[in-house]
Order: sequence, then C-alpha cells, then structure tokens
Amino acid sequence: MFVYEKKLQYPVKIKNTNPALAKFIISQYGGPDGELGASLRYLSQRYSMPYPELKGLLTDIGTEELGHLEMIGAIVHQLTRDLSLAEIKKAGFDTYFVDHTAGVYPTAASGFPWSAASMEVKGDVIADLNEDLGAEQKARVTYDNILRLCDDPDVNNVIRYLREREVVHFQRFGEGLRLAMEKMNQKNLYAVNPSFDK
Amino acid sequence: MDKNKMDNGYMTGSLPANAPLAAAYVPMQRSAAPAYEANEALSRGTLFPGLDLPFMNIVNNDLKCTPMTEMMAIDFVADELELYLDTHQSDAEAFGMYQTFLALKKEARERYVKMCGPVDQTDLLGMSSYSWLNNPWPWDYQPQMEV
Repeated sequence: MFVYEKKLQYPVKIKNTNPALAKFIISQYGGPDGELGASLRYLSQRYSMPYPELKGLLTDIGTEELGHLEMIGAIVHQLTRDLSLAEIKKAGFDTYFVDHTAGVYPTAASGFPWSAASMEVKGDVIADLNEDLGAEQKARVTYDNILRLCDDPDVNNVIRYLREREVVHFQRFGEGLRLAMEKMNQKNLYAVNPSFDK
Repeated sequence: MDKNKMDNGYMTGSLPANAPLAAAYVPMQRSAAPAYEANEALSRGTLFPGLDLPFMNIVNNDLKCTPMTEMMAIDFVADELELYLDTHQSDAEAFGMYQTFLALKKEARERYVKMCGPVDQTDLLGMSSYSWLNNPWPWDYQPQMEV
C-alpha cells in the first residue's frame, strides 16, 4: 500500500505566475511521456516480473514517478495561481481554462487527454524493460524541450532535476535488464517468456 | 569535483565479456563511490557524478538551506541508494552507506516534525491536535510565505 508524505521530493517554489508556461509543462502531467504514464507503466508492469530485483526496481521507480507527478502538478498549480481573465486570454490559456478553470488535469500540451494508449504492459521481461528504457529517453527529451522553451529559472531548476532522474532511471532499467538476461537461457534469450512459461 | 577526470573510471561501467546477440546492454555501474554530499546530490538530481549528465551542461546551484530541504536532501540520498541497491544487492559498501543514511533520515525527520509539523500521519502520535491539516500543503507556495 501507499502512505502519503506531506513533502515534495524536490522543492517547487515559483515566484511568478505564467499560464503560457503551464500550457506546455502540463504535458509532463498527462502527456504521452509524462509522469502519470511513467508511474502507471512501472507499477503495472511489476506484477508479471519473475525476478525480485525487478519487482523491487519497478516498485521503487514507479513510486518515485508518483512523486514527480506531484511536482509537475505543483508547477502547473503555481504558474496558474491568482490569474486575471486578461492574463488568461493574453497567454492563450483560455482553451484550457474553459474546461478546467485553474484545476490540474492530466492532458498533453496538444489538448489530448491522458491515454493508456501511450504506455504498454506486455507481460514479458525483455519487452517491458526495453519499453522502460525508451520511456525514460522520451521523458528526458520532453524535459530537454521544456528547457528550450522555458525562461523562468524557478521552473527550470525543477525541470533540470526531473530530467536528471530520467538519466538515472535509464541506467537502473538497463542494469535490471542485464540482471534478468543473466538468469535466462544463455543460448537463446528468446526461448521462453519467464513471466509466463514455467 | 572535476567531471572530466576519468582516471578512477567512475564514468564507465562494466559490460559482459561474452554478450549474446539481439540484446540491448547498458554497462553496470561499478560502485556507489564516488558520491556527492547530500545537498549537492539533491540540487543536481543524482547522488552519482558518473550519472550526472546535464542538458547543455547547465547545473542547478545549491538549494537554499531550510529545515525542509535539509530533510529532502537526506531522504533523496536514501531513495537514490535504494534504486542502486535494487540492482546491486550484494554491494556491502553501498548497503553500509544506506544504513548510515537511514539513521540520518530518522534524525532529520524527527527534527523537522518538531519544528514544522507532521510529514506522515504517524508523526501525530503524542501531538496535542490534528495538525495534519495545517497549511502549507506541499504544492502551495506564495512568495511572501517564505520561511
């Protein structure tokens, strides 16, 4: 089960509101490579993992991603606090505002709502861990792009932190894949799916 | 620390001598050392200099020290070591470091709770009121409320 800790993993303290930034940062809340998809992907894939190292790794990284979801939510919330209607219209935030006011809704920057179609649970160790390696790279690139688009240092500090976590997770998933493959048939890694075939 | 220094190999890992074809390989990190100290680890987003690969080589400055960031930094090192140990369960040195940080984490939590209030609801044991609901919640921030 999960227990809430009343703290963020890394501080989010945005001094200036800026709905124009919130419009694209929301993609890491509910976009195709965002933190909601990351946490659900890992926390769902862990059930079919045959080895304890991978059960542990997916649980721990999936849990950390929930903390990152909370940090992105905090950024969007703080960028949109105390907005006037004039600011909302000027930033083009009206298309989000009309449906969600200043609430935090899991959607991509394009307006496409969060979809489980952006993640996979294949029930196969090699396929799932390769997906996870790709997912970390895609999230890293999304953070690179946010850093290119965003000029607020209060926001960028948090984004740089979250981006670096993707690099660390990539390393751990790669190591997890190594550990899994060492336990599998060395003559033919694809002889069976150890998650299903006993 | 000079990040271009490669002499002790902390930016390189080990690959299998005979790797089967048709498989992706990431080298294993050799060791949990060297490691940043806790505040630097938190501001950089990793405990490990070898994994610290920032976009455009821009890194965060050290965070302003508050009771909250002090606790966050120690919690972060423990989190980072947990992920390392998930794939290096036999690394006794890293497990020793983890033990040290678990002890520090307990102390830091107690200090923070005494000063600022509960972090989880079990911290309410022995408190005089249900202060769990007290503001601020983690996602709220007003520039004027800086402690």
